[in-house]
Amino acid sequence: MAERLRADLVLEYPFTRTTGPVIGAFLTGLREGIVLGIRRPDGTVLCPPTEYDPETSAPLTELVEVGPGGELVSWTWVDPPRSQSPWDQPHGLGMIRLDGADTPMVHGLLVGGPDELSVGMRVTVRWRSEREGHIADLEGFVPEGAGQ
Amino acid sequence: MAERTAVLGVGQTKYQTTRGDVSLPGLVREAAYRALEDAEVGWDDIDAVVVGKAPDFFEGVMQPELFLAEALGAVGKPLLRVHTAGSVGGSTAVVAASLVQAGIHRRVLTLGFEKQSESNATWALSLPQPFSVSINAGAGGYFSPIIRQYMARTNAPELIGCMVAFKDRQHALRNPYAHLQQQDLTFDQVVESPMLWEPIRFSETCPSSDGACAIVLGDEAAGDASTKPVAWIHGAALRSEANNFPGRDEVNPQASRDCADDVFAQAGITDRRAEIDEVEIYVPFSWYEPMWLESLGFCEIGDGWKLVEDGATHLDGGDLPVNCSGGVLSSNPIGASGMIRFAEAALQVRGMAGDHQVDGARKSFGHAYGGGAQYYAMWIVGADKPTS
Repeated sequence: MAERLRADLVLEYPFTRTTGPVIGAFLTGLREGIVLGIRRPDGTVLCPPTEYDPETSAPLTELVEVGPGGELVSWTWVDPPRSQSPWDQPHGLGMIRLDGADTPMVHGLLVGGPDELSVGMRVTVRWRSEREGHIADLEGFVPEGAGQ
Repeated sequence: MAERTAVLGVGQTKYQTTRGDVSLPGLVREAAYRALEDAEVGWDDIDAVVVGKAPDFFEGVMQPELFLAEALGAVGKPLLRVHTAGSVGGSTAVVAASLVQAGIHRRVLTLGFEKQSESNATWALSLPQPFSVSINAGAGGYFSPIIRQYMARTNAPELIGCMVAFKDRQHALRNPYAHLQQQDLTFDQVVESPMLWEPIRFSETCPSSDGACAIVLGDEAAGDASTKPVAWIHGAALRSEANNFPGRDEVNPQASRDCADDVFAQAGITDRRAEIDEVEIYVPFSWYEPMWLESLGFCEIGDGWKLVEDGATHLDGGDLPVNCSGGVLSSNPIGASGMIRFAEAALQVRGMAGDHQVDGARKSFGHAYGGGAQYYAMWIVGADKPTS
């Protein structure tokens, strides 16, 4: 049988992005330490926000502040985290519906173990001290009243 | 018989180096919305959406058509994506038209786009592959030897390419959507611009642009109901071939000739030069204008460069104006570039091309090619309904 050739292939290009008026505002909000959602024509609020309505395709423009507290809708536990995870310690991943929003967002749950998590519990944002306008400025969520 | 199909509306963004004010969804939305406005229809009137763009690696967004569904009003509707390298804008319009011609949908929105400012177009087009047998020379490096082959065959004078580039940049000044607006450019400056891959000079190449182009297509009843002039499709064709096989004619590929024969036969056109009033062909490097004029049968083999030299392809005084919009040489958002040719052809027969309108244009020809001159898309549109 012929020898099978093997070569590493690393493709790397310097992509750039223009985030536009909605995603750009959301990321700027994170840098400032606030979470923004966007109001739909029927009054419900999407968080994270989108530029166009997911049902009607109407342009959305009314940004509203949501959170920082919210409700844990569902969760799982990750132990140990994979090498590319944003978190290096065992952690939860949850769907969190922030106060004022009608959709949940997925983010990390920074607690000691799965015993500390339950559906319907109140959680709140933990911010990084150094923020740059990135989803990871939001370090994760912790139980409300647990201290930041 | 296929359902008669018409271009009801066209929408374009201003082509420019960087659209730093809009996201990718925002960019496509702008073109789509303008096409709907031109067609005087709303999102609810659209039955399906067909999107085209160059490789996903350009912006690094995989399957962007899914990511753009909300921006294109495609939620709850059939949404599909076409990909045929640089010809994709043309192929996408042909696929979209076929959905109407087949009687499947009444109105279809089709759109091509590229945000080249977010990518690296020259090298993302041809990714290096382990143990591949082809060298990655970039588009200019690939096409220049083929152009020299054309020059050798036809004894074309050396500056024909510069004449094409200068003509298209003059045309661009009459199209507010065109990217390059070089008011003070002189022919001598084109000739003196740096030689990149002989015989292609810098000024004989296309720019990198951000932009999107959209078309609303409708069936015969929708065309009849339009309060504005529409462009009726008289023929639409696609062909492709391998980029390397024994006996391949790289200068005048078989797939190009076959595609042209098909589309002109559909349109019932026998004297191509006399019966077509305006031509929008895909010319990313200047010399491809005379090469395609020959391959498409607008003149005898070997005579393409003479049309250029005689001024026959100029908007002012030419009998076969080519790329009155300024062409790919003046605007190149790659995934949209083919559709721009198709859309501009439609604008001409609708009498809506503004300052670059060919007076009284009744039939026009839109063209795109891609890959190693392997993929072809063409359509012929007319001010009148096709009789067959």
